[in-house]
Amino acid sequence: MNEKHILSAFDSDLEQVQTHIMMMGGLVEEAILRASESLQELDQEMAEKVRNDDKAIDLLEEKINEECALLIALRSPAAGDLRIALSVMKIAGNLERIGDYAKNMAKRTAILMDLPQVEGARGALRRMAREVQLMLNDALDAYVQRDSELAYNILRRDLEIDQMYNALFREFLTFMMEDPRNITPCMHLHFIAKNTERMGDHVTAIAEQVIYVVEGHMPDDEARPKRDHYDPSLHQLS
Amino acid sequence: MYDATQAAPQAGQKETKISAKGVQVHYGDTHAIKDVDVEIAARTVTAFIGPSGCGKSTFLRCLNRMNDTIDTCRVEGNILLDGEDIYDKRVDPVQLRAKVGMVFQKPNPFPKSIYDNVAYGPRIHGLARNKADLDEIVEKALRRGAIWDEVKDRLDAPGTGLSGGQQQRLCIARAVATQPEVLLMDEPCSALDPIATAQVEELINELRARFSVVIVTHSMQQAARVSQKTAFFHLGHLVEYDDTATIFTNPSDERTESYITGRIG
Repeated sequence: MNEKHILSAFDSDLEQVQTHIMMMGGLVEEAILRASESLQELDQEMAEKVRNDDKAIDLLEEKINEECALLIALRSPAAGDLRIALSVMKIAGNLERIGDYAKNMAKRTAILMDLPQVEGARGALRRMAREVQLMLNDALDAYVQRDSELAYNILRRDLEIDQMYNALFREFLTFMMEDPRNITPCMHLHFIAKNTERMGDHVTAIAEQVIYVVEGHMPDDEARPKRDHYDPSLHQLS
Repeated sequence: MYDATQAAPQAGQKETKISAKGVQVHYGDTHAIKDVDVEIAARTVTAFIGPSGCGKSTFLRCLNRMNDTIDTCRVEGNILLDGEDIYDKRVDPVQLRAKVGMVFQKPNPFPKSIYDNVAYGPRIHGLARNKADLDEIVEKALRRGAIWDEVKDRLDAPGTGLSGGQQQRLCIARAVATQPEVLLMDEPCSALDPIATAQVEELINELRARFSVVIVTHSMQQAARVSQKTAFFHLGHLVEYDDTATIFTNPSDERTESYITGRIG
């Protein structure tokens, strides 16, 4: 549906709020990349910047929520317009959460600097974060292009993130069992891994919103990977 | 306020009150209604929406043969009320209209007292045996019209002296006085202020416990607020007919979407 509204101000309101979502998405992608880079490079300065920049993301979320409230109150959107207004609010919430996890990663980076290093872990976490950032980039593209096929593809890719998390979980356990001095850094690294896995879930939620906007309903259970891919065999290691 | 629990698609489970099949209407050379099929459920509010000239009022008027009064108008197809063809030769349009009442855009009370406005229908249809009977019918109808408390002390005053919103509720009371089974409403709130509109909408919601209500409205928000089923008409076609909740969140036809979202369609 590419036609314009009879009331052109309606179109500009809708465009504006969606532009803000894209701005927010750009900031969040950057936060993921920078947080994971500062983790791998142990770059205190960059980590500090990620923490400070999170405020801008929070402010944009507030702005988007206000714009949506006005849109609903003043324009009474229906059908596709209504779905856009609802999805934009939810996507803003998901982006804000992802931003928070990136900030948390930066916070833990500052702590990890003074602890013994765990071999290979930071590189693996950066790769995982990179994968999440690529998924987010595709999710935002899918939103702009109204491409539900791409969104379904993202739902499937979240499984890989879950597998990466499970692998890291095992690895950290092994390190901790080998040497108790690894426990503190491994706990922090595990939280980072878990948070990155949660970022993937929020990206998945954004992809689901794309499907809702395009198709008018949420994806059915088959297309939707289960929320928690906790591997029961992990218990046996401990 | 839009109440999702009331708009829940339970309408599908109710029996059919009016069933229209292959309805065509011509005004002289103008083909106003093109092959419309629709089933109207009992005890349900059904809204007809669409741009001016789309045929929604014309179709509404077919349901109680109001178009009979227009010489150039030709109605084809089948319209069944409780399974009986309302265009059958043996059907008396006056009796039909007692069963299928109508409320118009502009309140049009008779230039008579409030009492006589409501008593007129029951009198000509012989629904009252005596004065006490008639009094009771009038009071009941005025109560159903949600106007009793405002007029009970001045039943002899002229109906035309009431405010616009009161006049419209009086007309609704007049329409329900003959115990109709279906109530047709053609833009019943377009001449009313928002408060009177809300009162009429509340009334429509109450009437639905007893009657089938079919309402033509230009206000899509009104259709969303009061109806359980919505039919979208465009250029004489019935484009889409579905649960109101579906029409306003996820319509299946692009023309419906364009219309309800305020795009050129």
